[in-house]
Amino acid sequence: MREFHPLVKRWLDGELPADQLDAELAAELAEARALLAAIDRAPVTLAPELEQRVMAAVRKRPATRWHRAWRWIGEAHDLRLRVRPWAVAALAAAAMLVIWLAPARQVRGPAAVAQAPESVYVKFVLYAPGAHQVSVAGTFNGWDTHATPLARAGTQGVWAATLSLPAGQHLYAFVVDGQRWVADPTAPGVDDGFGRRNSILAVTPHGARVS
Amino acid sequence: MDRLGARAAVSDGDVVRAVLAGDAERYAELVRRYRDRYARYATRMLGSPDAAEDAVQDAFIRAYDQLAQCREPENFAGWFFLILRNRCFAERRRTKREAVADVSQDELPGPGRADRDAERSETQQLLARGVSELTVEQREVFVLKHVEGKSYDEIAALTGATVASLKMRMHRAYDRLRVYLKERT
Repeated sequence: MREFHPLVKRWLDGELPADQLDAELAAELAEARALLAAIDRAPVTLAPELEQRVMAAVRKRPATRWHRAWRWIGEAHDLRLRVRPWAVAALAAAAMLVIWLAPARQVRGPAAVAQAPESVYVKFVLYAPGAHQVSVAGTFNGWDTHATPLARAGTQGVWAATLSLPAGQHLYAFVVDGQRWVADPTAPGVDDGFGRRNSILAVTPHGARVS
Repeated sequence: MDRLGARAAVSDGDVVRAVLAGDAERYAELVRRYRDRYARYATRMLGSPDAAEDAVQDAFIRAYDQLAQCREPENFAGWFFLILRNRCFAERRRTKREAVADVSQDELPGPGRADRDAERSETQQLLARGVSELTVEQREVFVLKHVEGKSYDEIAALTGATVASLKMRMHRAYDRLRVYLKERT
């Protein structure tokens, strides 16, 4: 017999006490005990220099654009913006046109609709007719999937939310029904390292762009 | 709260946000917190402490490069584990044949190696070689369950695999290890 009996496997898994195994499995059980006894569980401590090596590599790296963007957001800036009422209205109208008249796409990205001295209003729009709830999560809200829900806009499956975002680079993704992450196909994306894509939004004092 | 208490209260999320805000030196706090937590996992996955050290070091540097993509800064540990896991899997697949040879070299005397071997019984060394011949998926579930002491549910949460598939891998691993040990004892 080359395979362990299923009951012995359950014992190995810790799901069955040994006294519930038939006597005929005693030899197999002894083999299983020997296998577990041979496992080396001694702790491993890595060289003390590891921390220094990691930090040496970190210090050599130029600040990435994300780090620079975060730093930029955290610093005080003297922004001189003149926002005229007619510009706000024009931008809002343009954004609505982009949202409603652009060629049909399953998912539509964010659009700048207005400016404030240190932030820009960005409208996130998602076409998700079958969704029960939609939110947007990103670097601007700590990837909180509940912080920024989108509201239904009309009855055609369009969801929207307008956020005031600081200038800088933002990563984001839509969250449909609390669990399905949807990247914005109209925006450039970046791999998150685990097979999913995050979308990139660049906010400047002059507006937002996704490309 | 005293100073020590205040320091202990600094969460991973606080440190991640500080690093992203430009205080790169604070990344050392995360390295200190987690450098040894997954050292044993990496060692058993890759077959040697030296390879594990390289993997952990690379994983920390990669995590720093991608820190802005950490969706849950408070769960830096889980996110870092996935990066280390990817690194171990890639390394394991890349050097599959050499890795087996490396494990057999553990028997050769070398700087620091003799001491480590002296602490490990023959059976432990034999089983370690058997584990090194499992597939990387079987090996991972064996290491996480029987070396790290995690439950199937915890392993599922860590790796994203279902409990049923984890059990299937594990049960195949038991059979392969049984054969391996029988043929060599």
